[in-house]
Amino acid sequence: MSEIRQPAEVKYAAELSALAARDSGPKPPGWRLSPKAVEHYLIGGEPVDGVPILAKYVGDRSLVQVMIATLASDRALMLVGEPGTAKSWLSEHLSAAISGTSALVVQGTAGTSEEQLKYSWNYALLLAEGPSQRALVPSPILRAMREGKFARLEEITRTSSEVQDALISVLSEKQIVIPELSEIVSAERGFSLIATANTRDRGVNEMSAALKRRFNFVTVPVVQDLEQELKIVTQREKELRSDYQVGLEAPAELSRLLVTLFQELRSGTTKDGKTKLRSTSAVLSTAEAISVLFSSGILAQSFGNNGVTPEDLTRALVGAIAKEGPEDLKVVREYCETVAKARPGPWKALYDASKKHLAD
Amino acid sequence: MLRRAFDQTPPALILVEGPSDATPLIEVLVDPETRPPVAILGYRTDGTPGSSAWPFASYSPEYQALLWAKEHGVPARFIDLTVGQSLARPKAPDDPEVEAPTESPGAIAAQARGLRSFDELWEAYYEAPAHDEASFNAAIMAYAASLREGPELPLSLARDAVMAQAIEAAIDEGHTPEAIAVVAGAAHVVAFLSGTVDFARLREVPSALPSAVTLIPYSFPRLSEQLGYGAGNRAPLLYQKAHDADTNFERAGLEVLLELTDHLRLSGFQASLADTIEAHRLSRMLAQIRGKAAPGLDELREAATATLGRGDPQVVERGLVQATIGKNVGQVAARIGKSSLQEEFWREVQARRLPATDAPERFSLRLGNTLEIESSSFLHRLRLAEVPYAHFLGREGRRGKNEDESPGGYAALARAKETWEAQWTPATDIGLVERVVLGDTLEQVAERCLEVRLAEGGDTGALAELLLDAVVAACPRSAARALSACGVAAANDDDLPSLAKATRALSGLLSFGSTRAQSSLGEAAIGPLLQTLYTRAVLRAPAAARVDEQGAPPIKAALRILHELALAQSELDQDLWLDTGAQIADDWSVNPTCAGLVTGLLYVAQRYDEAAIAERVALRLSLGSEPERAAGFLEGFLEVNALVLVKSKPVVKALDQFLTQLEVGLFKDQLPLLRRAFSQLGKSERRYLLENVLAARRLGDQAPAAKAILVEKDRATLAAVNTELAQALDDLDDLL
Repeated sequence: MSEIRQPAEVKYAAELSALAARDSGPKPPGWRLSPKAVEHYLIGGEPVDGVPILAKYVGDRSLVQVMIATLASDRALMLVGEPGTAKSWLSEHLSAAISGTSALVVQGTAGTSEEQLKYSWNYALLLAEGPSQRALVPSPILRAMREGKFARLEEITRTSSEVQDALISVLSEKQIVIPELSEIVSAERGFSLIATANTRDRGVNEMSAALKRRFNFVTVPVVQDLEQELKIVTQREKELRSDYQVGLEAPAELSRLLVTLFQELRSGTTKDGKTKLRSTSAVLSTAEAISVLFSSGILAQSFGNNGVTPEDLTRALVGAIAKEGPEDLKVVREYCETVAKARPGPWKALYDASKKHLAD
Repeated sequence: MLRRAFDQTPPALILVEGPSDATPLIEVLVDPETRPPVAILGYRTDGTPGSSAWPFASYSPEYQALLWAKEHGVPARFIDLTVGQSLARPKAPDDPEVEAPTESPGAIAAQARGLRSFDELWEAYYEAPAHDEASFNAAIMAYAASLREGPELPLSLARDAVMAQAIEAAIDEGHTPEAIAVVAGAAHVVAFLSGTVDFARLREVPSALPSAVTLIPYSFPRLSEQLGYGAGNRAPLLYQKAHDADTNFERAGLEVLLELTDHLRLSGFQASLADTIEAHRLSRMLAQIRGKAAPGLDELREAATATLGRGDPQVVERGLVQATIGKNVGQVAARIGKSSLQEEFWREVQARRLPATDAPERFSLRLGNTLEIESSSFLHRLRLAEVPYAHFLGREGRRGKNEDESPGGYAALARAKETWEAQWTPATDIGLVERVVLGDTLEQVAERCLEVRLAEGGDTGALAELLLDAVVAACPRSAARALSACGVAAANDDDLPSLAKATRALSGLLSFGSTRAQSSLGEAAIGPLLQTLYTRAVLRAPAAARVDEQGAPPIKAALRILHELALAQSELDQDLWLDTGAQIADDWSVNPTCAGLVTGLLYVAQRYDEAAIAERVALRLSLGSEPERAAGFLEGFLEVNALVLVKSKPVVKALDQFLTQLEVGLFKDQLPLLRRAFSQLGKSERRYLLENVLAARRLGDQAPAAKAILVEKDRATLAAVNTELAQALDDLDDLL
């Protein structure tokens, strides 16, 4: 396998086919799996026919159930949450499990145009032949409608309101009109849309009430529980290492230290609730913790000589923290002075490393 | 479903788990005028407060069984421990049904099925599915058997025995066993059926306490507090709706969602019917995914959050609580002998239009007319009797601002308006019933409570507080008794703060008493006592003022009170205080802070003119006195209206001299004290002070020889002022 990153439906093909083979539950039209099997795929659990089902999402089972139940209706699903709370991850796995593909995706940006939502043309062919099926370039959403699959729209709040408005008719009428071909494409059963939106972007391009009404909203929460987040971070980091085939595994106590640090800085108090901390303006998401752990492993492999050390971790941390400006580095420095200094084991080493790397 | 079972095989006798001495109450319980939720209340009659409630909702199987019995003319009775025996139980007197420890088998079973709590399990497996008799029995018995595998509480076993005995007694009476229906907790039923009842356990039944039973209204919010019992009390209104819809939970859920939509619209959210329809569909789909027969509370919450709430659970939570718990209060048929206190309470509440729902409600009373004064007295009586119903919010009803204001006491007399927050809860009725032992009317109960406090005694000040409590609660007899107790205590009381407090209380009574119409007390009795107290207090003052630094604050407060009273209350001998005050001010052995305070007070009261005050301040601050005492004096002095003081040129001049005379070493020693003294000054006061200092200095400028020295010494003074200024600027920065 030479691809850096395989889409979910390829990577977990074995799991999906095992689940499909054993799936006896009723399937909504156009679905590859029954809702129960989709839940099983996402939450993980008992192996099916000897194929272990890994947990794709570690967290509240009832949230996943709401997502699945929404997708079985004529409403689209909107996943909202802080950056790095696995919204896109969930969207990818949901479409992989239910539609068999997670590739029908439109990335929402300020430059996203209506053509990217509906269709555009191959202009060479258009000029040569006039409007024809051959000259039509369908958008992922149009393809999803024709094939009865899920389309994904990432970061919907970053798109302009014109584009958002164009989406309303797509979602309510479930059809796209192509006047040039005198054709109306109506969605096959099984079509739906999973959108993600960032709460930090709230107000950038606030969605209209009409658009909101086409969605059911599920807020993906920031993980509060230390063990739960630790599990997510180590598991996902391991996957990254095997995907990219670089990096070293960090000792368990270091990953625990990192997740503790993230959670404490995020909540603004230490775990024992005794010390008040300043918070960073950069988002300390679970995804960020994964990336810090991953890059500290690469640092250790490339430049170190005996495994991942607190020093590697600190160096990786600087890159993640300094995004929003040097103020945040001070916050972490302060954290090391007030909290890490007094703690035993790797904390002490973190404190020493922080003096070296976080100095002004 | 229970009724269906009864209709199929009609029993000839129905036995219900419930206190056996409450059997006579069954008639009232099923009276058409009685509207659940209601509760059987058992309470102790031996004078110790103590009670226990057995609540019934209209969907309770016990209630339905009793109702069926009445409709079909079948006798019914309760068979559990008597109230007296239950109350004698050592643990958990408030909840008769705590049988399961927190990590109960039920909770474990719920987790094993991927559900979050036992209540959810109960809802999913026993309430919602359209069980027929056989399948329900199978399900419930399996559950009950598993429950009994857990640790057993001895009393629960004893209750098995008691109930089994009652069943056998019924059989002995000639009822055929097949015609007796027993409605009891599943755990008990398993014991009856499996024959594991151990009659030896009867000995473990505690001996009964003297007690009585009655029926009180109950409310859904209280019902919903009893979690972990599994009778579906988590969302009583939802269950009520399901029950009314013939156990159609889907319909009940839809009703809840519609109500929620209404609620959201009223509170200004957009809530379209399309969202409601989607929420309903989503909740059913969720129930299906989870293998539940119909959506329960959790499905409704999650579905409503995803649709109506746009992902934000907080938006829907309040409306959902209203639609699933509500604030319904039950009603008990009039023919039950309500206790006299309950009758009085409900009569008053209705006549005065006070809140009678189980949700906090806020209202204000204007103490200008008799009706609202009486309402206030009624609420104060409840407060004194410690019946949980209303609590006092303050004069203006703004939380926070008047937080320190106590409901009774001196402040109560001067009030023209009172704000209360009242909420009826079953605890109110329970409180009323429990207090029947203290008297037949609220007035009697309040008086008894006051007398208990009176008997505990206390100093004159405490007794005077008591007197005021009696006055605001309109208890003339207690007031009279408190008044004479006050007089007796005053004769032996040497404590200045206590005397001053009592004096203020009596003076307040004399001035404001008329609004509360205390005819029986009479000014004739108060006046002389006030004089006596005042005189005693004033005469005690010089001696009391000789305290150390720690004891000074209460004495200072007392001196202030005396000063205010002397000036405000025409009945009192003003000169007595002024002369005594002057004596304190000139006494070098009293606490310097007290002396400073009194000096300031007398100056503001124009007892001292400018010259006299300057002389006194200069004297106190002169080099001859210890700097520590001088600083103390200054602190007390500036506590009084500082603006007047710093505006006075002679005073400032004396201050200035004092500071400039201090040696650097001494100045450093005194800096903390001085800081404290000057920190009481506000911004404009500081400005006046500086202006006056500068004015005083300009005179000094004319003597060039002294200038160099002055400037040198200025530095020290300015340093002190500067730190203050710096701090003031910091404060300002913080504000900006």
